[in-house]
Amino acid sequence: MNKRAGIGFYIFLVVFVFFVMFPFIWVFLTSIKPPGEIFNNFNWFTADPSLASYENAVTNRPLFRYMWNSFVVSTLTTLIAIGFASIAAYALTRLPIRFKGVILGIILAASMFPQIAIISPIYNFVTAVGLRNSYMGLVIPYITVSLPLAIWILATFFQKIPWELEESAKLDGASPFQTFRKIIFPLAAPGVFTTGILVFIAAWNEYLFALTINTSDEWRTVPVGISFYQSQFTIPWGDISAATVIVTIPIVILVLIFQRRIVAGLTSGSVKE
Amino acid sequence: MKFQLNEKQLGYAMVAPALILVILVTLWPVAQSFYNSLFDYRLNDPSRSERFLSSNMDLERYANDYFYLSRDLEALEGQSPDPDDAAVAAEISQEFEAYHAELLEMDGLAEQYEEVEGMIASFTAISDRDLKYASVENDWAEDFKAFLDDANEQLLTISNESENEEFSTTAGNVAGSLDSVNTAVIESNFIGLSNYQRYLTDGRMWQSLSNTMIFTLVSVFVELVLGLMIALLINRAFIGRGIVRASVLIPWAIPTAVAAMMWGFLYDGQTGIVAHYFEQFGLIDDASVLLSTGAGGMFSVIFADVWKTTPYMALLLLAGLQTISGSLYEAAEVDGAGKWQQFWQITLPLLKSSILVALLFRTLDAFRVFDLIFVLTGGGPANATESISIYAYITLFSQSNFGAGSVLSVIVFISVAIISTLFIKFIGSDLFAGKTNR
Repeated sequence: MNKRAGIGFYIFLVVFVFFVMFPFIWVFLTSIKPPGEIFNNFNWFTADPSLASYENAVTNRPLFRYMWNSFVVSTLTTLIAIGFASIAAYALTRLPIRFKGVILGIILAASMFPQIAIISPIYNFVTAVGLRNSYMGLVIPYITVSLPLAIWILATFFQKIPWELEESAKLDGASPFQTFRKIIFPLAAPGVFTTGILVFIAAWNEYLFALTINTSDEWRTVPVGISFYQSQFTIPWGDISAATVIVTIPIVILVLIFQRRIVAGLTSGSVKE
Repeated sequence: MKFQLNEKQLGYAMVAPALILVILVTLWPVAQSFYNSLFDYRLNDPSRSERFLSSNMDLERYANDYFYLSRDLEALEGQSPDPDDAAVAAEISQEFEAYHAELLEMDGLAEQYEEVEGMIASFTAISDRDLKYASVENDWAEDFKAFLDDANEQLLTISNESENEEFSTTAGNVAGSLDSVNTAVIESNFIGLSNYQRYLTDGRMWQSLSNTMIFTLVSVFVELVLGLMIALLINRAFIGRGIVRASVLIPWAIPTAVAAMMWGFLYDGQTGIVAHYFEQFGLIDDASVLLSTGAGGMFSVIFADVWKTTPYMALLLLAGLQTISGSLYEAAEVDGAGKWQQFWQITLPLLKSSILVALLFRTLDAFRVFDLIFVLTGGGPANATESISIYAYITLFSQSNFGAGSVLSVIVFISVAIISTLFIKFIGSDLFAGKTNR
């Protein structure tokens, strides 16, 4: 890990980051142009920046409502998934049960299920119980995506927590549940938190279920809502750019705050041996 | 020993809720999809909007028709100027009543029929499907339908031949009512594997399947190579790690639909900056090529996917890289191995399982691609970028054809199952490494 970074490396880095960020930069620059200036004009910077596109973006369509819907659905999904998953992942990694391989296999298989293969029965079910156009109507199908994902990641984290702590807790007479609550959970909390972020992002980004189940505009989530900005006749790129900037900001903040977590979550878990 | 047993039971109890939930929300719907695919099942067609393994009677419709038809048939007999016609009408009337009696004799049907009649009398629409439909024997339904067809034909002949205008009109009307009763008898829409047969010879299915494969192979390959390069480059100490890390995480973190909208703007033939620059640099003849031609559309979709998911790939590989101990490289350095040699002899072999796992997840993700293409090109131009998931979605929800659409769903499912099996054969037990062994 002692590779030195030379000046060439930094030039490469700047170019690389520029290319990765270019769509965001351009979309941001477009969003502050006056709407009339967007068409047939490839100037990077506008002479008179304007917030007109932002105003249109939040008034022509209920963008904040979409964001609130996404927030509620993703939060509920995350809480439910983490609740069930942490208990199951603990038992799978720590308790002497049989068929672990089979159970993990089922969970892994479930996490690979193509949503399109289950959408029609789920749609029928949600319609039958009257949950179309509601938060729970999305939270239930989102379990298909989030629960296997959460169990899978959490199992990795739990496995990395040193065994000895648990042994000594057991010697001190703690029950398995106490061990889980007092020893494992605090040690695993960073991992649980990271898993929570990943599940939250997965739920926030989901498109197919949201598109088919919540068809009424006031129940749409951000991804679906954004994709409905284009009408049949015109594509209001100014509105779309502004809306994109608005919905990207929370994600940028989330990533900036938790980037170490997200990355570390994929690398080493929480406790170094 | 006692403690051990309790711990075990507790373990099962802790796994059970999550496992049951997973099975309920994934395995059960897949089974349902497979079941649906065996029916001619369409939500927008009343006689096929349910899956009927046996024949069924739409009691609401039948009771409504029966009330008038029974009366009209009797009246017809009396009205007839010709004794032969009267005899035919009497026979039809008698036989019709006999079928009606048979129907009511079936298990529990008398009560159900009465309830339906009551609701019709009070002009209440029947929404309860169990009440509205009664299952009847296939043979009986077939006989009844044959009788109705036959009677309808006979009455039409009489109506055409009769010189008495009034009688002719009445006979024609009664024939029409018989036809209406006929539609109340719904034969089973179980069609076995014929939906599959249809799609195996459907050009659009093969086209969408090959689009999906091209998309998957090209995008995953490019993402792997680029991702590996990025991972190798940023796996070192340098100033500004945080900015680089955040900038590669953001494309991964934003919703695919939002990314697709952004790229739709960048590719646009009139206002798109990427299309404009591509044209300026001579990469394409005209700015509109990207979204209006098949090849351009496929390139656009793959390019956007590479932009969005390479960071994810790089992160997974970086995770693998960081588990490789630096001392291995130091030892190699001492032994005089070059950078290139170190890559092939140390990095790649030790990264193998990380690469395979990353490939597995990316391949499966790419194979079920929906939102990126759906929002960016809608599957166009002329279905050139339509993935199998989009074709399934259109069949299911735009055409409300749940039977045929389920076939496409099942095809996606089977493809995904084959891909995972192949990968897991390669990866083997590494996938579960460190998870199952205590």
